[in-house]
Amino acid sequence: MNEREALFRRLAAACGSHGAAAGEPPPGEAPPATEGDRVARFAEAFSAAGGFLLRGPVEAILSDLGEMLRAEGVTALFFPEDDAAAREFAMALVPFGPFTLTTGTEVRGGGAAVTAGFRTAEAAIAETGTIVETSAGGKTLLPGMIADVHVSILSAASVVARMEEALAAFGADPPRNISFLSGPSKTGDIEQTLTVGAHGPKKAIALLLPPERTE
Amino acid sequence: MELTANAFGRNARKALLDKTLQEALGRTTGRFLAHRDAAAAAFPEFEATRERASRIKRDVLDHLDTYLARFIEEAEKRGTIVHVARDAGQAREIAARIARDEGVTLAVKSKSMAAEEVSLNEALEGAGVTVVESDLGEFIIQLAGEAPSHIIAPAVHKTREQVSRLFERHLGEPRTDSIPELVGMARRHLRAKFLSAGMGVSGGNFLVADTGSVVLVTNEGNGRMGTALPRVHLAVVGIEKVIPRMADLPTFLRLLPRSASGQTISSYVSIVTGTRRAGDPEGPERMHILLLDCGRSAILEGKYREILKCIRCAACLNTCPVYQSVGGHAYGWVYSGPIGAVLTPLLVGLPEAAALPDASTLCGACADVCPVKIPLPDFLLELRSDARDQGLKTPGEIAAMKGYAGVMKRAGLLEAIERIGGVLGQFFTKGKGIGGLPYPFSGWTERRDFPAPAAQPFRKLWKIRRGVTR
Ligand code: SF4
Repeated sequence: MNEREALFRRLAAACGSHGAAAGEPPPGEAPPATEGDRVARFAEAFSAAGGFLLRGPVEAILSDLGEMLRAEGVTALFFPEDDAAAREFAMALVPFGPFTLTTGTEVRGGGAAVTAGFRTAEAAIAETGTIVETSAGGKTLLPGMIADVHVSILSAASVVARMEEALAAFGADPPRNISFLSGPSKTGDIEQTLTVGAHGPKKAIALLLPPERTE
Repeated sequence: MELTANAFGRNARKALLDKTLQEALGRTTGRFLAHRDAAAAAFPEFEATRERASRIKRDVLDHLDTYLARFIEEAEKRGTIVHVARDAGQAREIAARIARDEGVTLAVKSKSMAAEEVSLNEALEGAGVTVVESDLGEFIIQLAGEAPSHIIAPAVHKTREQVSRLFERHLGEPRTDSIPELVGMARRHLRAKFLSAGMGVSGGNFLVADTGSVVLVTNEGNGRMGTALPRVHLAVVGIEKVIPRMADLPTFLRLLPRSASGQTISSYVSIVTGTRRAGDPEGPERMHILLLDCGRSAILEGKYREILKCIRCAACLNTCPVYQSVGGHAYGWVYSGPIGAVLTPLLVGLPEAAALPDASTLCGACADVCPVKIPLPDFLLELRSDARDQGLKTPGEIAAMKGYAGVMKRAGLLEAIERIGGVLGQFFTKGKGIGGLPYPFSGWTERRDFPAPAAQPFRKLWKIRRGVTR
């Protein structure tokens, strides 16, 4: 008898379930309120988690974003090769600062530049102020992982009310990596003092595309 | 990890005299607790969510064989290699074998109590692997050569000055008293490790049965990097961490960060499923999950089964007056606070940790905050009586308890003793409490002080208050 069989023998004895059907999901949880404007609720929760949401006309977004990135000392921008919206924003931003374009591979290889990583988010969750990024379809997670500043590009149509809706979208076969990103990387490990940028981005920015650009 | 649970008294005394620790504990537990309370109050569905989580976990325990089998099947379908360890020794053997077979020399590890439980680092190091802790708190105590003192804040007992000194000695960094600078130093140092490590080692907050996924909840982002960048991912997880469905995950994600730190959600939740798919730029080529029994199936069989519902939020630690006073190290093993006082004896055997169930005032605060409604105080009490049945109490202690019970059952005798006690008490009183009482009462005062009796017994005050005179 191998270890696994031995374990299941012990468990069967201990559970006493004798192959009885496992339970249905218990009722009883009132789902968090879902009324109201999803985008407005996302904006509120995202900023509560320490993120910055930029919205409005693209020109205004670009100039605000340029200023924020300069303030963080960002000098290099990167985006996934196959992410058109991210490319468009990063390229449009170059004139707004002393920014050069680089690639995720280069950033991963090391290098001293302070970077901003751009990426289109698959979804966002209003309940928790969360950006959802996944590896579905061979997408990279590097911009939200190894950049100093993470810039998510978000369409209003992709904002869902609760975590349930976001997870249901994957069905029975989730991609290898699903990342819920809620604000910047944080640590309180030294004297319980909240400090950003432990391992991931020091700043999390989301650009909410105006409705006419969401298709 | 070395087990010194039965030295709780000595450990606690040491902790009480440690000024730095006392300051840190006061700061930390109070803040976590206040944030937790505020988060619970701000979430109207908190109670209903607790109830639901508790019921889901109970269903899991009733059918752990079914759910675990489903988890293994789904995980293997997606390329994950699943291992099962009966005990810590076997877990170490398996981990060492994985590291050797995969040809790993450097591993980045994110925080895992399960790994701590089986001393995983030792095993990997024995297999020639350098293990770098990547959670900042764990990294700090690894440099200091110490053990974690809090489930979610392992370096709570270190000051910034101590951290800076460690970074100077081990990383060659200049001294600073700026916390952001210290965090930046660790970030730079660990970034290089993430990018060059062959293996990422993680725990797992949840195992999702219907998809074979492992869920990691972190704030720093180390769990995510360690499971996405290295070539191999090894997750070490207790078998009780299974939840039935992906659809159940939100229920637990609504409770864990709120109960732990008062956050609505942690900065990062990573749901990882199998190996990297064709065309994926990140994710491991090989994924191993090491499932630990290590005493859990035995717990499942007995009256303490519900302790396996624990989601390791640490709320019970923060709210516990004993933990607040002595911190985590005093409990002498991996788990501390009320959860440790129950779980440690069950995992290592009551004779090895019989002192822990006594490390509680039975005030009930832990049960009030536990997000999955574990009856911790009932279990502490039950373990005490088990300890007595197994002959683990001193005869003096048993005699004292018998005497106490005898007195409490006779109102007249109690009154007489209260009256005498009020007078005699002052002779035995040192400071706030009574230290060394004569036999049989010494059984009580061996390991604790008895509060000094009030000059007026409560029952007399109560009578006066209600206008009863006699
Ligand atoms: S016993 Fe309850 S309160 Fe304590 S760590 Fe576990 S889940 Fe949290």
